[in-house]
Amino acid sequence: MASGRRINLPEGSPFERGEPVQFQFEGRPVEGYDNEPLAVSLLAAGARVFSRSTKFHRPRGPVCLHGHCSGCLMRVNGVPNLRTCQTHCRSGAVVERQTGWPSTGLDLFRAVDLFSGERLDHHGMFTASSAINRLAGSVVRRLAGLGEPPSADPQKSVPVSRFKSDVVVIGAGVAGLAAGRALGECGHNVVLLEAEEHRGGRLLDMATPEGWKQAAAEKNQLESVAGIEVHVETPVLAVYPGDPLEVVASNEGETLFISARRLVVCTGAYEQVPLFENNDLPGIFGPRALDRLTCGYGVVPGEPLVLVGDRDETLRLAARLVELDVALAGVVTSRRDTPDLEAVRRKNVEIFEDRRIVCAHGGKWLDRVEFAPLNSPQRDLVLDCRTCAVEAPEAPAYELAHHAGCRVSFSSQNGYRVVVNDEGQTSNSQIFAAGHVTGATSVSEAARAGERAGLACALSLKDDNKIRERLKSL
Amino acid sequence: MGRTIVCRCEDVTIEDLKQAFSEGYRDLESLKRYTGFATGFCQGKCCLAHAARFLSALKGGDDTVADPTRTRPLLHPTPASRFAGAAEPMEDE
Repeated sequence: MASGRRINLPEGSPFERGEPVQFQFEGRPVEGYDNEPLAVSLLAAGARVFSRSTKFHRPRGPVCLHGHCSGCLMRVNGVPNLRTCQTHCRSGAVVERQTGWPSTGLDLFRAVDLFSGERLDHHGMFTASSAINRLAGSVVRRLAGLGEPPSADPQKSVPVSRFKSDVVVIGAGVAGLAAGRALGECGHNVVLLEAEEHRGGRLLDMATPEGWKQAAAEKNQLESVAGIEVHVETPVLAVYPGDPLEVVASNEGETLFISARRLVVCTGAYEQVPLFENNDLPGIFGPRALDRLTCGYGVVPGEPLVLVGDRDETLRLAARLVELDVALAGVVTSRRDTPDLEAVRRKNVEIFEDRRIVCAHGGKWLDRVEFAPLNSPQRDLVLDCRTCAVEAPEAPAYELAHHAGCRVSFSSQNGYRVVVNDEGQTSNSQIFAAGHVTGATSVSEAARAGERAGLACALSLKDDNKIRERLKSL
Repeated sequence: MGRTIVCRCEDVTIEDLKQAFSEGYRDLESLKRYTGFATGFCQGKCCLAHAARFLSALKGGDDTVADPTRTRPLLHPTPASRFAGAAEPMEDE
């Protein structure tokens, strides 16, 4: 454990630190702050390997920090397989790693990775006889398993709440907030469900206080409109088509079964890590996750850092990090001369142009990354770094719309996105969608689409000339 | 060993996809069933688009991978206790 560090919590961060607390990690005391995600406390304390992968027992750590991936799973207070990025740090918590033998840090089954060659094809392994197959099956299950069964007391059943609503809006990001507000202003009762603790979605991961301010302003505006009920930390688990639609969501205190006449899906997109050699090494993040970790929570997992990408947000993150005196080993981009790049250059951080990442190196954590020119396989740049953020196309979170049979379409650029018409209506006339789940590429585009979908949804419930005019004017 | 991981949850590599494709698994659903991507903890949130992109590149166009694999509830890992209460009779019934 070393080299993770905390920086002053950037001013205006919505991720305020609670009281300092102590918890147990692998039997040792670790300091964190009440309520911050455990994964964040652990990275700050210098934890490296969070888990081991199923087959090759490769080291893994947190990647997405938004509860989508499996990198940060641990056993907390006797309950296995908890996403530590979505589990709050609490005084006295007992946190253990759950994979690998004899320990997650020193896992002898890593040998499978080191000696199995380019591929480990399990389709024909141990199939000589059914007895061998059964025996191998039980061994492999133990090797690959996701920890031991829970030792904690069985969890008490959660009360179920069944109710009706005109509209359910899924996701309190840019598009969902705009859609919810528009619907509320049109006089409909709205239930807005957000999986994470804070409203704002990607507004919270924009490397600037402006995003946080906008999220706070949206929150206030929403609260000024009557008839909107917001539930945070309440992920939607399923959508069943029909009239009404049935929406199932769940949080710690209650399970919600909501019958809704309309649904607006604003679930955003999952950040992805691109495909390159050893892209799963701990220390590699997406820029959005790194933004949340550094600018949001004030934790730098390892220095120096390298940022790879062309988006405005990524370059802004680079500029923000040098401003926060975080050590950067370089920025790799195809962009030229943006104000953010200038700010980075002024702090003597080198900018490398027109290269793609081809390989990462390291044992249990990232040591260095290798690059090649965009159109050549010849590697010509190696950067030593302990943290690297690399852009990849996002994958829209289309699943809930797909549950209800909405049409989705694929493109290499956008992945699977929910198909909508100009007013945000999907192939199911009761369901609307807006924002990055439909392939939006900017925050402002998502906000406009959210408002449009909200108004169109309101119109589909009750025709009204004023609303029609407002929709036309957008 | 240097590996390019497509699906982290199930440790499926780009080589696994290439091999499966060469063995004749050439649509997303059978590619998924053969290699196991998108069947792990995250249920494809981190790998499905990668796999579809791989297939699209080999088959020569995005329209060749039109549909995603079947999506099933629950979208997020959820303790069973959250549903244990649903069996109780409702007051209005």
